[in-house]
Amino acid sequence: MHLNRRQFLGAAGAVSLPAALAGCGFAPSSTPGPAGSASSGSGSGSLSFTTWGTDSELAGFRDVISRFEAENAGATVQLNAVPYEQMFTNIDAQLQSGEAPDLFRVPYYTFGSYAGQGQLLDLGPHLPADFADRFTPTAWAAVQNEDAPFGVPHHTDTSVILYNTALLEAAGVTDVPTAVEDAWTWEQLGEVATALRASLPADQYPLAYNWQGNGVTRWLSWLFQADGRFLAEDLVAPAIDSEAGRAAVEFTQSFFAQDWIPANGSVQSATYASDLWYAQTVAMTWAGAFLLPDADATLEFEWGATYSPRDVRGGGDFGGNAVVATSGADPELAAAFLDFLTQEEPMRDFCEVSSLLPTRADLSESGVEFVARPELSEVFLGQASQVLPEDAGQVASPNMAAIITVLQDQLEAAFVGGQSAEETVANMADGIAAATAA
Amino acid sequence: MSTAAAVAPPVPTGRARRARPVRGESAAAYGFLAPNLLLLGLFVLLPVLGAAVLSLQRTNGFGAGEWVGLDNYSRLASDPLFWRVLLNTALFTLLVTPLSMLLGLAVAVLLNSVLPARGLFRSVLIVPMAVSGVATALIGVLVFDENSGVLDKVIRAAGLPDVPWQSGGAAAFASVVLVTLWWRVGFNMLIDLAGLQGISPELYEAARLDGAGGWQRFRHVTVPLVGPSSFFLLIMNVIYSFQVFDIIFVMTGGGPQDATSVLVTYAYENGFVTRDQGYAAAIGMVLLLLTLAFTLVQWRTSRSRDLAG
Repeated sequence: MHLNRRQFLGAAGAVSLPAALAGCGFAPSSTPGPAGSASSGSGSGSLSFTTWGTDSELAGFRDVISRFEAENAGATVQLNAVPYEQMFTNIDAQLQSGEAPDLFRVPYYTFGSYAGQGQLLDLGPHLPADFADRFTPTAWAAVQNEDAPFGVPHHTDTSVILYNTALLEAAGVTDVPTAVEDAWTWEQLGEVATALRASLPADQYPLAYNWQGNGVTRWLSWLFQADGRFLAEDLVAPAIDSEAGRAAVEFTQSFFAQDWIPANGSVQSATYASDLWYAQTVAMTWAGAFLLPDADATLEFEWGATYSPRDVRGGGDFGGNAVVATSGADPELAAAFLDFLTQEEPMRDFCEVSSLLPTRADLSESGVEFVARPELSEVFLGQASQVLPEDAGQVASPNMAAIITVLQDQLEAAFVGGQSAEETVANMADGIAAATAA
Repeated sequence: MSTAAAVAPPVPTGRARRARPVRGESAAAYGFLAPNLLLLGLFVLLPVLGAAVLSLQRTNGFGAGEWVGLDNYSRLASDPLFWRVLLNTALFTLLVTPLSMLLGLAVAVLLNSVLPARGLFRSVLIVPMAVSGVATALIGVLVFDENSGVLDKVIRAAGLPDVPWQSGGAAAFASVVLVTLWWRVGFNMLIDLAGLQGISPELYEAARLDGAGGWQRFRHVTVPLVGPSSFFLLIMNVIYSFQVFDIIFVMTGGGPQDATSVLVTYAYENGFVTRDQGYAAAIGMVLLLLTLAFTLVQWRTSRSRDLAG
């Protein structure tokens, strides 16, 4: 058979077009897609689970999955690990196109955005009746939306102060709190920072705070320590224009005014607080436990950890992540996996390997021991005990995404632009009101 | 053609004789264009249309949006931050476009001359093109970090005061412009170099014989004859500058205090952080209109200049 050039090109195009379109997702692929979930009952069928994670976190998830599959013949869970940077643009696109995974991992401050928009499965009818009792009240509050659970609190994390021992000792700071009730007050923290400022050269600073990017929610710890709220109890009305709000802004603003923090340590900065501490540009930083394995492996200077300060009360950020199911998942199988994921042994193993804190009440009581720097486990556990359910409940607001932008803009204006505390909290209140009204 | 005419069967009219090959050529042309047109339609025109529809809605991306007509556009008009980022984008474009073109042309002229190891220099200048924008920005962070960056260390060693590359608005803006220039000059040089190599050496020889000096040869021979390259570069640089994202996102995150926020970072923030996707789409449509308007003006201006020439 003879083909001229035109016939050949036409035939080649006809053959290659379906392949090209299949690659672009416009034609069905011959292999089954990962998102498909069997509509069988509990114990068999398949689930797709999308998450990001460090190597140790992913190893922990794989271990739990293999144990779940071993105990539930016929059930499979397909883990899809993606970089954090792509995680939520992918999830959003998948939800919008109806191709969402059955399960995904989500930070508590983002949880509300999905739960409040009807994208998640209400797990209430599918979980055991006493399921809530296994968690601390704070953790359970963080996965509620309109009084229904739309996820399970898989682990938490909270920020404590990591310090460079030599730099603190050089400033005469040798007495570091070793119990949460002895945590520095704001005033004592100020004295430590002042001593460090006097002792350090101009290109080194007393502290850095991990409020960059979406970490701006960690600024709320100062508000909680001042016994303030940013949302009223109805989780709609702003409550930040208060004495506590002004005190929190004024105190954190003073970090910049008194040269305690590098000028590029503000909320809009692209430089993370941990990097400033790693480089010994700062003597202390606030950091979560997830940083411990990396710090333990890479830092060559001596370092320790102590509790975040307290003002009217102790307080901290309820970090960490929930695992949620989407509305297309097999509810019984998803609930069975989430039940298994949050049982005592899987949660302890995951937390110890990954340096994260448990959300189960029994494990919070008995403690876990991190593989890296096990002696610091109790500092993080003690700090986590300072987070109140009402603090976590506010951060689970469905409007948190818009509130984060308000906090970023106003704190940047206060820290870099010198905007007064009064104007800052008034603007925050206006912005939060607009965000919750939208 | 005369051979073809000789062997072609006789036809009743000249008009009909010409029409058949034209139709065939058109069909072939459309055949060759079809794959590109299909891809352009699917991946450019259709999403643009989708964004235009989205810009008329209030939506967080989940479920059906609420139809709000031109409300997102009127919000833009009264949003001071939008005007700030528009101004930042314009300033970025006004700095990056002429500077990268001038530097690119200057380097191209230098590397088009008899210069030792010019192949090595050309390669060194082109290397940044092969590096992704994010990697370029990360290198920029290493250089411009105001605590531990290389540049401030050099400045300090020279006894000069530190420059707040990350915490000062003007300095942060300068840092992203400088990194962008480092990234873009190689591309400009490459296009200009191709243009320069198309200029006949005889023209320079003639100009020299007519008594033209070095500057006059550059001004009256080189500059006009790299016109097509310059036109292409102008359009590409302006479009790139309007769409800058990765370098700013990684280097400054738009800060401090939005001093380096541009249209695309602002659209990203609205679309993917605040999830106000209708508003983000409206910002995108403004960007599209600005780019189209500029390209149209340049296209018309350039064509008339060519005709006059």
